[in-house]
Amino acid sequence: MRALRTVVQLVFVAGTVGLLTRGLLGLTQNTCDSYCPFGGLVALFPLFKYKAYTCRLTELNTALLVSLGVLTVATKKSFCSWVCPFGSVSEWLGRLGRKVLRRDVKVPPRADRILMNLRYVVLVAVVVLTWTVWQFDLGFRAYDPFYILFSWGGHGTFPWSFAILAGVLVLVFVVPFAWCRYLCPLGAVMDPLSRLGVLRVRRKAAACESCGGCDAVCPHRIPVASVAEVTARNCTNCLECIVSCSKRNALDLSLMGK
Amino acid sequence: MKKALIIPITICVLIVLAFATTSAYRVPTLELKFPGSRPAVVKAVEFTVNGVKCRGTSNYFAQKIAGVPGVVAVTTYARTNTATVEYDPSLTDPATLRAAYERPDTLEGKVYQIFTTRAQRDLP
Repeated sequence: MRALRTVVQLVFVAGTVGLLTRGLLGLTQNTCDSYCPFGGLVALFPLFKYKAYTCRLTELNTALLVSLGVLTVATKKSFCSWVCPFGSVSEWLGRLGRKVLRRDVKVPPRADRILMNLRYVVLVAVVVLTWTVWQFDLGFRAYDPFYILFSWGGHGTFPWSFAILAGVLVLVFVVPFAWCRYLCPLGAVMDPLSRLGVLRVRRKAAACESCGGCDAVCPHRIPVASVAEVTARNCTNCLECIVSCSKRNALDLSLMGK
Repeated sequence: MKKALIIPITICVLIVLAFATTSAYRVPTLELKFPGSRPAVVKAVEFTVNGVKCRGTSNYFAQKIAGVPGVVAVTTYARTNTATVEYDPSLTDPATLRAAYERPDTLEGKVYQIFTTRAQRDLP
């Protein structure tokens, strides 16, 4: 399962890097933001008000946002752990950080719960600023590590944008998944739909030894060992809990409770 | 393991659907009708233009051809880098339109060519 997910992650990272390479060679005019579902969200207001897309946003961003919504209802936040290229990069950096630093840096639970709400602040700030101060221009690109990295300082970024990118990369190296857990506005968009997620990890109490191994490996600190079904909004269906479980059939994916 | 395959399959299906939908239903980035009465005969040409990639460059493209006599309307699509221009064939032609938007700009002593044509086709 882990290999399958890694292959899918590599495909999306390679696709994004390929797009960047083609852009740098002058073979395409599109950049990574042309394929970002978050663009579909910031395009909504001008689309209803002026019946037009702004900046580089197109109908593809809207279609991908709708697809993301359907995907989240179907498979929870699997976008984060299977598709998002920046999520993959931060996951790999976090793993490397754990090996290099030889310790697992974990934010204290209380601070973690408070910090997780930062995503909503970032989401509201980005949307409101885009619709007001930035006049529908994608001003947040200068602060968006995904765009800065995969457009390699493309249009709309500044030299200091790389300092932001470096800061975020160092952060996820030291505190794995810090960007995804505390700052990613797209993650905040998916939260309400993720609770509905049809495909969930299910624990069979009879087979489970409650060793807590699944809790320890969950990158989003979900107490898998103490629930019958994982309904937590943060679950990205990365399946690490299932992979690490020593008891056969104690954890499995359930589809509509089956 | 089999159930885990649901995730990549769903991802692939949804991405294909998103691309298929947007190929079928294009939304213009800019739709502009130039002032004046519409001539009896109007022709349309579609240019694929390097440089037409967002709302801003679409506006600039429209600005560049606005001065050409006989231009009736322009519609741009940033995703496909295309621009459809409607024109009065008795007053202008595609070559004149191309020359207008491909005309280089000078900024602080440097010459820039913002728009270059990749393809061109007449529309029915």
